This record gives sequence, structure tokens and C-alpha cells, in this order.
Amino acid sequence: MATTLDSPPKPPVRTSEEDLVRAAKRKNRITTWGWRLAGYVFFLGVWELASGNLMDERLLPGPSTVFETFGRLWASGDVPGAFATTLTRIAIGFTIAFFVGIGVGVLMQNRFLNGFFRDAVTIGVTTPGLIWALLTAIIFGNRTAGPIIAIVLTTFAIITVNVSEGIKSIPKDLNDMAKSFDVGVVKRNRHIVLPHLAPFTFTAVRFGFSIAWKVTVLTEVFAASKGIGFEMRTATQLFRLDEFLTWILAFYFVALFLDKVVLESIERRFFSWRGELKS
Amino acid sequence: MSVLNEAERTPDSSFAAQEQPTVLAKAWRRLTRSSLTGRILFPITCLVFWLLAIKIVTTIWPFAVDVLPTPGQVFGFMWNEIRGDTLAPHNMYETFGISLQRLAIGMVIAMIIGTIIGIAMGLSKAVDAFFNDWVVAILAMPNLAWALFCSLAFGFGDLGPIITVVLTGVPFVIINVREGVRNTPADLFDMARAFDVPRKRVIRQVLIPSLMPFLFAAARYAFALGWKGLVVAEVFGGQDGAGWTIKFWYDAHRAYGVVGYALLFVIFALVFEKFMFDQLSKKLFKWRPAVDAEVVEERFDGTAKAAVASAAAASTATGAALGSITLATEGPPADQPAQPHSDETIRRDNDHG
Repeated sequence: MATTLDSPPKPPVRTSEEDLVRAAKRKNRITTWGWRLAGYVFFLGVWELASGNLMDERLLPGPSTVFETFGRLWASGDVPGAFATTLTRIAIGFTIAFFVGIGVGVLMQNRFLNGFFRDAVTIGVTTPGLIWALLTAIIFGNRTAGPIIAIVLTTFAIITVNVSEGIKSIPKDLNDMAKSFDVGVVKRNRHIVLPHLAPFTFTAVRFGFSIAWKVTVLTEVFAASKGIGFEMRTATQLFRLDEFLTWILAFYFVALFLDKVVLESIERRFFSWRGELKS
Repeated sequence: MSVLNEAERTPDSSFAAQEQPTVLAKAWRRLTRSSLTGRILFPITCLVFWLLAIKIVTTIWPFAVDVLPTPGQVFGFMWNEIRGDTLAPHNMYETFGISLQRLAIGMVIAMIIGTIIGIAMGLSKAVDAFFNDWVVAILAMPNLAWALFCSLAFGFGDLGPIITVVLTGVPFVIINVREGVRNTPADLFDMARAFDVPRKRVIRQVLIPSLMPFLFAAARYAFALGWKGLVVAEVFGGQDGAGWTIKFWYDAHRAYGVVGYALLFVIFALVFEKFMFDQLSKKLFKWRPAVDAEVVEERFDGTAKAAVASAAAASTATGAALGSITLATEGPPADQPAQPHSDETIRRDNDHG
């Protein structure tokens, strides 16, 4: 009798505790996802309802209209070309900005050069992209150089700031040791500074990218005959808000995808050899 | 470099070199090593480069003369603007006044909405899940999109720019406030509960004071970014204001007007930032021994944890990027002693210590 009583209840008791925790976690996750979904439904619903009721449908096209318009634009065949143009511009400009930014950041280790570039970085960070966009539009007109220069000027400073932030945290003793053992400047930078900077450059790239694509679109609004920005301007001038919203949202999703999925997975792969670091 | 060079020399030549240094050489060495000379040299180099570029371009394309503004034109323009003598419909002071008014209204609205939503998001997980994705989405949206949209949807006038400022500012306020709520000292809350302090008083006397630095940082970023958003909005949907005036000179094809106004604009933002916010922060946080709160600015992935140190670095690094208006201009905080190697190490040490 005792054996029959003892043996059955024991295992369930242990699992039930684990199950409790698991169930609580699952419940937590479900409620979180539920609220998240509720958020999506709520905001999309408000948007959809607001168009037509709160504001004129032509002034605020709802999400469904945007979807329809995207289908129409895609059918017209303009979409891939515009995306390709803008993305190429971003790629060229951002690559240049990346190297300039890292170069300036590394050079800023030196006190003299630090003073020299400090104001350049300040100007780069504080000046709104709009001003570069207008300036390059005046100077270069519709030539390809304009948007690219605007991207470089706005993005390099962001990258430099991040890189110099990394330089500040370089282990000083390593550098001092290298100096006292007569390791040359180039070698010192290559073997101590740059490896240390790698994670910071990734932050810089992701942050810089989020600025770069916005500036690119902005410059294209003023001076371009192709690309997303140009399409946006055309749409606004023709007062087609549905097309305008479609263009910007489509590109927004592409940029977000590049930032969140592509860059993040590259970053994860690149640093998979590193354990979790805590500072 | 110098270490290397000296090591390569033969002993007696290095002896000779060491006996040589005159006052002049010493002064030269000091001059080339200080950051101040670099700082002074930068505008000079820029000016020389500017003039050279104009010279080269105009010899190749003589018709480019009226496209490239000369320094003389730009500074003359700025001087005229400062004296209030302008061809634009409003002079500089009126223009900036109008813009500031819009910015102030927009920021106040953004702060109120942002604080309410931020506190709710910090206190409740459900609310956080409800809003989080949309806050991130609004944060990542370019202000150009808001500006164009508002100019079309709300017409020319005050409404479009103000809504743009609100929309650019709100996500920053929300994220900072949420972070602030999460960082409030839990023991103070426990203590308040143990002593049966009413909820209203807890919010007023525990939550709000510990939120202050975060709110302040939020205001700062909302200002810096709202300002940029405002200009873009005014370019497309304004009838006056700083952005509109830049556009005015752009439409008049006066590049010196655009450059000059841009410079005025940057100077204005820097002065405002430096004087108003620094003074305010000194006044507001006098009672605190040290403000060492880690404040979050542009975090696209609040929940996702990146695998590397860069995630940890991100909060300071991106913070620096946005806050570098202060960081890059001021360098080290004034009340701290300067360090020989890197001017700004102290700030970082403080952040982590």
C-alpha cells in the first residue's frame, strides 16, 4: 500500500514545478505578444479609420490604399530601378564616409590632429543634412557627385565620433608597452588600435547607415532625376499622397531590413568568436 | 614616431641632436604637439582650401563664378544678417524667433505625451509591448517623410512644422523616460510601500526626481533633432522661419545666402545648446552629488541583445554621436582636470565608474 502511494505522486510533483515555471513564462510571452499584436491592430486601425473619417482620404491614405498603390507601382516597373539607384548612391557614399571616418578617428589619437579635426567633426554632426543637401544641389546640380558628397559629409562625423569613443577605451598599457618596445606607428595601429576598434566600427556602421539613407533620400528630393527621393518629390508635387507614402514606406522597410537583419547578422557572425563581453 | 627616429640614429648623432634644441625648436615642438594649434589651424586650412577650390573650378568653368560662394560674400552676408539688414521678408531675429516658438510648442507637446507614455511603458510590461514597435518605427522614420507629409496634409503654416517637431521628438522622450523609470532605485519604492506612502506622493517625490536627468537628456535630444526636423518641415511647408529662409536663398540661387544662413543656424543651435541647457542642467542638478545616469538615445533594438561588447558600447557611442554637440565642442567637462593623453577619457571613466 505504501509503495503504491509513494511511487506515483513523486515524479509529477517535480515536473509540475518545472511546468509551473514554464507555464508562467509561456503565459508571460503570450500576453506580451498579445499586447504587441493589440498595438499593431490598434495603430493600424486608427490609421485606417482616420483616413476618410477624420481626414480626407486624399490627405491621409490608409494602409490598405498604400498596399494597393504599391502593387500598382510595382506593376509599372519603376520600383526596382529607383531602389537600385538610391542603394548604389548609399553604397558609394557610405563606403567613402566609412574610410574617411575611420581614418580621421584613428588620426585623432594625436593631440594636434585631434584639435584639428575636432571642429570638423562638430560641424559634421551638428549641421542638418538639409543644408548639405541644398548646398550640393546648388553646386553640383543633378550630377551624381552631389548626393554622394552630402552623404560623406553627414556620415563621416558619426563614424568618427564612434571610432574616437572606441579609441578612448584602448588599453593604455598595451599602447605604452608597444611604444617602449619601439613598435612603429603603423604596426601599432594595425595590431592594437584597429582590432580594438572593430566592435565600435560596427556600431558606427549601423548608426551611420541609419543617417546615411535618410540624407540620401533628402538630397535626392532636391537634386536628382532618379531614385526614391526623386519619386517622392514627384509624388508630392502632383499631390499624390498615396504614392508618396508608398515610396517612403517601401524604402523605409528596405532600410530597416538592411539595418536590422543584414547588418546585425553580419555583426553576429563576425564576432561569434568573441564571448559575451561586459564593460 | 620620434621614438623610432631617435632609436635609428647612431648614439653620437642623437647626442648632438639632444644638445641642439634651441628655444625655437622647443617652441616649434610644443606648437606642433598642442591641440590648440590644430584647432586654430583648422579654419585656416578650410579657408585656404575653399579659396583654392574656387580658383581651380572657376579657371576650368568660368561660368561657375556665381555658383560658388566666396568667403567674403558669405561673411558679408552674415554680417548684414546680424545687423538686421536683409532682403528676405523677415530679418534674422524675427526668423529665429518664429522658428523657436514653433520648436518650443512642439517640444512641450512632445515632452508631455512622451512622459506619459514613457512612464506607462516603464511601469507596465503590457503597455511596453503595446507601444514598443511603434515607438521604434517612428524613431527610425526620416523627418523628411514627416515634413513632406505634414506640409501636404496640414497645409502651409504653423501646424505642419509643429507636428513634425512632435513626431521627431516624441520617441526620444519616450525611450529616455522609460529607461528612467526602469532605473529608479527599487529600494526607495519598497521603502515607500513599507511606510504606506500614498501613490501620488511616491510619484511626485520618488519617481519624478529620479526621472529628472532622463527627462533633461530627452529634452536635449528632442531639441537637437526637433530643430533639424523643424527646418526640413519649414522648407516644405512653412511661410516663414529659419528653414523657409534657407529655402528662400536657395530659390534665389544665392549659394552664399544658403551657406551664411546655415552657419548662422549652426552657431545659433550651438549657443542655445551650450548656454541654455548647460546652465539649466547646472541649476537643476545642483542637489545631486553627481549625475552619472546612463541615458539612452537612439537605440533601435531596446530588447534585442547584441552578442558583442558593441551593444554595451552602443549606448555610450551613439550617445556620443548625438550628444557630441556638447562632447566634441567642449571636450572634457570644465570642472575636471585635463589629462595629458586624451582630453576626453575622463568623461568615459565617469560613465563607467
